[in-house]
Amino acid sequence: MRETRFWTWHLLAIPVILVLLGLHFAVQHYAPVFYGVSVEEARSFEAMIARGKDMTQFVLYILLLVAGLYHGLYGLRGIIRELPLSAALARAVDWGVFMVGVVIFLLGAYVTWWTFSF
Amino acid sequence: MADTKLITFKIRRYDPDKDTTPHWEEHKLNVPDGMTVLEALHEIKAEQAPTLAWRSSCRMGVCGSCGMFVNDLPMLACQTQVLHLGTDVVTVAPLPNYENVKDLVPNLEPLIEKHAAIKPFIIHTNSKEIEEPTGEFIQSVEQRDEYSQFTFCIKCGLCLAACPTVATDPLFLGPQALAQAYRYTVDSRDCGLKERLVAIDAFHGPYQCHMAGACSQACPKGVDPAFGIQLLKRTLVLDSIGFGKKESHVSKVMPLADVVAQIEEFAPPPRTVTK
Repeated sequence: MRETRFWTWHLLAIPVILVLLGLHFAVQHYAPVFYGVSVEEARSFEAMIARGKDMTQFVLYILLLVAGLYHGLYGLRGIIRELPLSAALARAVDWGVFMVGVVIFLLGAYVTWWTFSF
Repeated sequence: MADTKLITFKIRRYDPDKDTTPHWEEHKLNVPDGMTVLEALHEIKAEQAPTLAWRSSCRMGVCGSCGMFVNDLPMLACQTQVLHLGTDVVTVAPLPNYENVKDLVPNLEPLIEKHAAIKPFIIHTNSKEIEEPTGEFIQSVEQRDEYSQFTFCIKCGLCLAACPTVATDPLFLGPQALAQAYRYTVDSRDCGLKERLVAIDAFHGPYQCHMAGACSQACPKGVDPAFGIQLLKRTLVLDSIGFGKKESHVSKVMPLADVVAQIEEFAPPPRTVTK
């Protein structure tokens, strides 16, 4: 059930991204509409750090990072693997995409953690 | 004599013994109403191009041998009437997405190999009954309806010729094999999904389908393989999360004597035609 699982996670990531990205937009870009504060105020360094130190925000951003990365990289892998590749090259693409995902996740997680512990 | 119309046939010719690349050849033919592309090819071969090669057999859209690329669309030559195409120039080429053997003959081996890979037969837990049947596995009308339309597939390969994914990814199992995988998997007598997973739960399986729907449009028998692929995806996902079919829904065998009795009960009365 390998590919079926990959594909199911790919689909499940869609609602997760929609909800979390929606929250992100509401908090960061539509603050005047939802919170009655100006965009500049919502995007100030102090406001960012204040939100970043919140445990719920921290968890939601990590979740968004995982869902976004997985969805995007699975799609990218699908596009690349459609090219006529040898079996060895196809395996290399799978591992390459996985490693890129791990590196970007570690970078994103580090930044989120840095903000949380600021 | 019936009215005819002068039609120019542009036929793609290729002889691997002589040609390095295919070329187009033009033949003019007076086409009467009702003449099919296949009949036109026979006439052209008889009168103008004796070496022209193609594959055909039944002439009635049943065997699936005469798939061709007519006016840039995959069609059965025996089911396509020339005048219904509505053009004065009719192009005839071998099916795309297949290797060209000669003239209009495609190499259908990939189609057969992909079809065989999904194990297109009933796999039942009671293998003894399959090998030495003592009766028949009875199926309800509703159970048969679940896969009925997919049994109309004649393995002509038009769907693979129309498929944009096969065009770029030759390893993609394709609409024919995947729809047949669904046909057998959903059959109430079958419990062979696990054995089919090797072929279908892979990168080149149903998840590579771009959902263009070209396969369903091309199918000369009205099968909807694109829908079959989506149904197969649902079956696989349900199975992966533990809601799949655990075993065959039909485990009881109706003894042959009972089957015969049932047939006799609904048999028509004997013929009473006299001279």
